[in-house]
Amino acid sequence: MNASSDHALILAQGLTRLYPLGSTAVVGVEDIDLAISHGEMVVLKGNSGSGKSTLLALLGGLDLPTRGRLMVAGQNLQKATPKELNAYRRKVVGMIFQSFNLLPTLTVVENVCLPALLAGRPHQEVTNRALEWLDWLHLSSRLNHYPRQLSGGEMQRTAIVRALINEPSIILADEPTGNLDSKNGQAVIELLSELNHKFNTTVIIATHSALADPYATLQIYLKDGRITETGACDV
Amino acid sequence: MRRVVFFLRFLKWFTARQMRMHPWRVLAVVLGIALGAAVFTSVRLAVYASLDSFTRTMDLLSGKADWTVMRPEGRVPEDLVARLRSHPAVETASPLISSYVSISEKDTQPFLLIGLDPVLDYPLREWQIDSASGDAAQIWLDLLRLPHTILMSRPLAQQHAIAAGDVISLEHVHQIARFRVLGVLEPEGLSLIEGGYVALADIATMQEFTGLQGWVDRIDLRLKPDATEQTVAELKDLLPRGIDLEAPTETKESGRTMIHAYQLNLSMLSFVSLFVGMFLVYSLVSLNAASRRRELAILRSLGASSELLFATVLSEGLMLGLLGWLLAIPIGSFLVKYLLEGVSSTITNLFVRVRVEKLHLDFWEILLSFGVTLLVSLVAAYRPAHEATHIAPREAMMMHESPAREKHPSRYLVFFGMALIFLAWPVAKLPSLPRFPLNGYFAVLILVVGFSSLSLPLLQWMGSRLPPLLRRIAGEPAFLAGRYVRDAGNRTAISVGALVTAMALFVALVIMVHSFRDTVSLWVNQTLAGDFFLRPKMAGLNQYHDPLPQKVIDGLKKIEGVDLMAYRHLELRYGKIPYQFEAVSFEPLLRYGKFLLLQGDMAKIKGSLIAGEGVLVSEVFANQTGLSAGERYRVRLGNVLLGMPVLGVFRDYRTRGGVVYVDLGAYQKGTGDQRWSGVRFFFKNRNQNLESATGRLRSEVLRCCGKDHPLEMASGLELRREILKIFDETFAVTTVLLLIALLVSGLGITTTLTVLVLERIQQLNTLFAVGAGSGQIRAMIFWEAVLMVITGEGIGLICGFLISHLLIYVINLQSFGWTFLYHVNWNALVMSLPLILATALLAALPAVRLVLHSSPALVLKEL
Repeated sequence: MNASSDHALILAQGLTRLYPLGSTAVVGVEDIDLAISHGEMVVLKGNSGSGKSTLLALLGGLDLPTRGRLMVAGQNLQKATPKELNAYRRKVVGMIFQSFNLLPTLTVVENVCLPALLAGRPHQEVTNRALEWLDWLHLSSRLNHYPRQLSGGEMQRTAIVRALINEPSIILADEPTGNLDSKNGQAVIELLSELNHKFNTTVIIATHSALADPYATLQIYLKDGRITETGACDV
Repeated sequence: MRRVVFFLRFLKWFTARQMRMHPWRVLAVVLGIALGAAVFTSVRLAVYASLDSFTRTMDLLSGKADWTVMRPEGRVPEDLVARLRSHPAVETASPLISSYVSISEKDTQPFLLIGLDPVLDYPLREWQIDSASGDAAQIWLDLLRLPHTILMSRPLAQQHAIAAGDVISLEHVHQIARFRVLGVLEPEGLSLIEGGYVALADIATMQEFTGLQGWVDRIDLRLKPDATEQTVAELKDLLPRGIDLEAPTETKESGRTMIHAYQLNLSMLSFVSLFVGMFLVYSLVSLNAASRRRELAILRSLGASSELLFATVLSEGLMLGLLGWLLAIPIGSFLVKYLLEGVSSTITNLFVRVRVEKLHLDFWEILLSFGVTLLVSLVAAYRPAHEATHIAPREAMMMHESPAREKHPSRYLVFFGMALIFLAWPVAKLPSLPRFPLNGYFAVLILVVGFSSLSLPLLQWMGSRLPPLLRRIAGEPAFLAGRYVRDAGNRTAISVGALVTAMALFVALVIMVHSFRDTVSLWVNQTLAGDFFLRPKMAGLNQYHDPLPQKVIDGLKKIEGVDLMAYRHLELRYGKIPYQFEAVSFEPLLRYGKFLLLQGDMAKIKGSLIAGEGVLVSEVFANQTGLSAGERYRVRLGNVLLGMPVLGVFRDYRTRGGVVYVDLGAYQKGTGDQRWSGVRFFFKNRNQNLESATGRLRSEVLRCCGKDHPLEMASGLELRREILKIFDETFAVTTVLLLIALLVSGLGITTTLTVLVLERIQQLNTLFAVGAGSGQIRAMIFWEAVLMVITGEGIGLICGFLISHLLIYVINLQSFGWTFLYHVNWNALVMSLPLILATALLAALPAVRLVLHSSPALVLKEL
């Protein structure tokens, strides 16, 4: 573990997620012990099926552990109620997905505003903030475009702004460059790094690409659902 | 408030835009709901219009009367008026005579002529003379003092281009007479009854015109405010035996009950289209929820609650229902005009006379239609909405759609379906309210749900067992179609369920209508035997109040070459149950005709019937009163109490209640009433040309008897044809309703196939990529449609047979009191099945076009 348990933003102990399959169970992750501080840029590495996405889903409150302990931003996730998990997903984490996951019937600005509106924030205030972010990411000319009218890079930048709109403590990115060409992929990683430095947002990227390696403060290697290696990095 | 605003905004973004992107799909469902809602609403409005017209007529006719003095089978002596007026508790007593009459040489509908005493009647009923007619006071006086004068309602006068001062000839069986129209009535009060087609005369004029000097139809009473129950009892004691005192609402309530029952039956039938439309909503909403599962998971991952997802999916159903209801307004406005005439003439034929000239849009009926449509849509969308709440946020991270697991394995559905099917008959046999067979309808619903539940297991079974056979018959496309149908699960089963519903009800109705028609045809040819029928003009309308004049009877008796079957017809009540009493000459009737007996053996009872030692009662009478063969029938006719055993129960399908037959000779001997209400003629020589003989007989009757006394005459052939025509018209409405339901279910198949193709567009284009031809893809989709339709038709057919039993032996029995001989017209059924199959295959065409529309390379590039 990198940080002491007392100051960790994310603390996992014996974290396990098993998926029942008939009479047996498939291991998603098993006995994960982890401590991540504020402001870290963490890269989760491993091949397909190593458990990166499962761990990310647990950290994002998208899934519940089978056993073990998971504390994120002071919240005990395995004991959280569905309502608490909803609030957690809105306010504490921002998710970025490999396939962007923009809603096809919403425009760029609507997609970006959605998490904030779900959190009950006033529409005008949210829209103004969204416009600032979109301008910062050079998407001002695409405000009323639908996802089908955007390029891959534009879609991912939109997804990033959506993840930021509620100013979460943690950004979780699942293979953010998986559907992008190398140029756009590099741009996305640089952007995430900038967010990490500028706003001290903890960024956790699950990837099997090496693009994020130079920017990581911590690399965690997973294999068959277990952490095999952890290494702090100098950035 | 902010949450509401957000939700509405979100619905616009997420649901409304999705609907705009797929307009045809949405239109198909909206049209289905619109048709269902339009049919439901317009049927109810049409019946309501008749109910309103009838109620208004009854209320206006009763006026402010508290009680009515009347004799069920005849008339009341006029001298009773003075005796009643002299009672201290009676404020006013007004005699009334009413009869339907027609204008000579004009081929228009008869109208009601009311004879009243303008002075005595003034406190009870309202009517005003139009100022354009002249000095109202003078006209009023002239009506009193001048014979053969009338006042006409405005619509009636306008219909015949009649003005004040004109002279017209009016026909009644007693005579044809000329009347001067003194003036036109203002459209208020009494002049509004019968749709506004009415005329008034002084009671003396009316008595003279109808030959009822010294008699009236009824005496309406208004009592003083301090009258008590004791007063009413005293008044009843004052009346001669056989004359009753009853509340004026009794006739009205009896009529309303009958119309309400008809409204319920027709509403249930019209609800079928809406019910089938419900499947459409379910189908589209659940298909949308399934195809947008990933988007719903994304929403969950962003923090949307499961309640929001539930509300969103439910709202989609609600929006479809709302749009459907709005579209139903123009469709319904068109339909209601067509239905109004059909429904009001059916009510007139079956129950009570109504004349509807204008449709009133009743707020509560509109609200009911709105509420039912939205409720149906909500119910339809509930399950997909509930299933959406189980979408895990984690699914947002999956690269491929995770198929929604079937919550209910087909084994469970088989048990559930079979349990409902077996439950249906016991539920149907539970006791129910008279004329309201709610348990029967509930049993139909149970059967439909039960059989529809078998759609999925049967599709899965077919998809498992049949593909190898299909491959041998029609090659690989058919094989693939079978496999897909097996795995498609609820997505296809819902549309098949809709088809099952529509098909089952269609089959049930075809069987019921043909069984009914065949039985009625048998009845008409056997029990309504007769070569020539004669009765006073408008006798039916006037409820046989006016018998044939003696001159006519004397003239008829002289006609040679015929056997006469005279009858005396009275409209009576058994307790509160109205029925028809007919004294007939049994000897010629049983010689030339036949009764379809349900109880009793004609060989054994014939002698007793002819001797006047017993009665025959109709099935309707027996079911409504509980009297059956062996029990005693009693009736008071004036001062005479007749009591005889019931010798048999027979099938009878005349309208307006049950029938009791007694021998005419026994009746005349017992009561002293020698009058005839009508006559049937039978030609003695059966070998002659009966049509020519009928023509000759008609001429002879006109010559001897018809000059001064308007008569209704019809050949037996004409009468039997007319009865079957009325029958066909009665069921035309119900047949149209069910054809609409079939159309709606066809729309469902179209929607389902189209959406399923869209969902599998990558799979289908992959088939192209691996070598499938467009003809093979087309064939595969057609085979899917064929399998779905065959499943729906097959299950629907079996279900339809069971429902037909419910319709005949439970619902008809409880609604109308009759049953009929079960008879399947295989021709009609067999002919309709390929038609439905062809329609369903046409429904597959849009889906097929969709597949071949996009380039496989482009579609597969997105993989």
